[in-house]
Amino acid sequence: MSGTWRFLRMAGSVWWRDFVAWRKFWRSSILLNFGEPLTNLLALGVGLGAYVASMQGVSFLQFIAPGLLAVTAMNAVTFDAGFDTYDKLNSSGVYAAMLTSPLTVPEVVLGEYLWEATRSILYGAVFFLVILAFGLVHSIDAALLIVPLVLIGVLFTAPALYVAAVARTHEQLFYYFSLVITPMFMFSGVFFPVNHLPAVVQDIIYALPLYHGVALARAMVLGQMTPDAYGQFLWLAGYTVLLAYLPVRALQRRLTT
Amino acid sequence: MAIGRSRTKAVVLVADQLAAAPAVAGDEEVVVARGLEKTYGEVQAVRGVDFTIRRGECFAFLGPNGAGKSTTIRMLSCLSPVGGGRLTVLGMAAGIGERRIKERLGIVAQDDNVDQDLTLMENLLVYARYFAMPRAEARAHAEELLRFMQLEGRSGAAVRELSGGMRRRLVIARALMHHPDILVLDEPTTGLDPQARLLVWGAVQRLKAQGVTVVLTTHYMDEAERLADRLVVMDHGRILREDSPRPLIESTVGREAVEIWGREGEDDGAFVAAAGQELVLHDRHGDVLVLYSRESGRIGKALAAAGLAPARMLVRPTNLEDVFLTLTGRELRE
Repeated sequence: MSGTWRFLRMAGSVWWRDFVAWRKFWRSSILLNFGEPLTNLLALGVGLGAYVASMQGVSFLQFIAPGLLAVTAMNAVTFDAGFDTYDKLNSSGVYAAMLTSPLTVPEVVLGEYLWEATRSILYGAVFFLVILAFGLVHSIDAALLIVPLVLIGVLFTAPALYVAAVARTHEQLFYYFSLVITPMFMFSGVFFPVNHLPAVVQDIIYALPLYHGVALARAMVLGQMTPDAYGQFLWLAGYTVLLAYLPVRALQRRLTT
Repeated sequence: MAIGRSRTKAVVLVADQLAAAPAVAGDEEVVVARGLEKTYGEVQAVRGVDFTIRRGECFAFLGPNGAGKSTTIRMLSCLSPVGGGRLTVLGMAAGIGERRIKERLGIVAQDDNVDQDLTLMENLLVYARYFAMPRAEARAHAEELLRFMQLEGRSGAAVRELSGGMRRRLVIARALMHHPDILVLDEPTTGLDPQARLLVWGAVQRLKAQGVTVVLTTHYMDEAERLADRLVVMDHGRILREDSPRPLIESTVGREAVEIWGREGEDDGAFVAAAGQELVLHDRHGDVLVLYSRESGRIGKALAAAGLAPARMLVRPTNLEDVFLTLTGRELRE
């Protein structure tokens, strides 16, 4: 068996383990990951939206819907990869058991990326059906959403795995959620365009990976695949490549000393 | 992917093998350690140990907490990098990610790391995937192993419903999924009730009879005495003694222990003098003076001849516990 094929196959066995565990409670899992973005969509889009005439030429509901899709994906993988990995390391021994087999840490990490990308597509697709039903999808370009969903799935799993590997307590995971993920959610252009903000703030926002996920999802849903949108894709892809190796060393330190 | 030649000599699990003749350990050296070391920060966990494990035998590591047993076992299992010295397993140098070794090891870790989110059967099938076993073969073997560990009829149950003993049996079944050549058991019966311990011991004895090499760490001296063909006593990262259980016991503490109950110092000197040449060594802890005798039945007579009649005296065969406490001392280890 060639090295690459073997690597993928071993990662696939980790994906399979997560899938077997997930399919026992997939209904409640989808419901849980679905409630919050749907609430945001209805309360803000419909409720607050009634007081906002339009935003960048579209209704407020229309404006926030694609961004919330990107956020749904980010949250679905962040919380799962954060808590689940913490438990797999500290209480359930799932990773310790995996390493008694020929599995290596890089194979385990790739397996988790494949699984979280799958979850990102699944939960993103469910949310997509809702905005489709609301009549908020205007282009066949929306079929391309699978690309940002996969990238968001992997690029947000990487830091979540890292944080889970270095966290000493559950509380430390919350630091990451409330100090990194929540501000990113609020300032990544989901709820308002960022181009009226001071230049320095815009630069900071430009450095947030979610910003590019939101912009790309919006372009696809509205059928505005401009050169800018391809730029957003490159940003997302770049972050994904940059972060992918981040958790490997931290997990190796935890599991193989 | 090749699972190694172990697949062809699959462990055949038949119910009536309790009566099988014990396998004779071969000459093939499956694990060889020379000057093996491991340091964690400032702590020298293993300080240059030598041992050789032969195919088909049960080899045990005894020692108090912190002796270096688990560290040694983790290096041998390719779960922890070799710190220094040489360690070969099945002819290959041990090291992290050495999958050709791991494919042939069945590892039972100290904590029951069964997968809580999966059923018993799923635990075994998912694990088989890590070894790239064909699905049909995995399922058939999983059913066989659940019977072997007396977990049949529970294959669809959730792991969280299992008792501690059942979980441990499931971990052992899982470690056997890929037909390992060497089964590594790190304190396999800690925390189990007597019935569950007997079941685990029975399983280990049957596996040994089928030619599986067993590497064991334990705190339980009766377990080591029952299962081990050879053992080492470790303390402070070093091997203090290596032998088969009975010769080790007799060479260290003789055949018989005479426990004399009474306050410290009362007549210790008189008892020791009376025991004379028979005495291997003596040891007092609290209210008990223990006289270890080379042969059985001699010290009691010698005491009577000297006119010493302790109010309370217990004569018993020596055991590994005597060896262990003699070699590693009685003070508590954390």
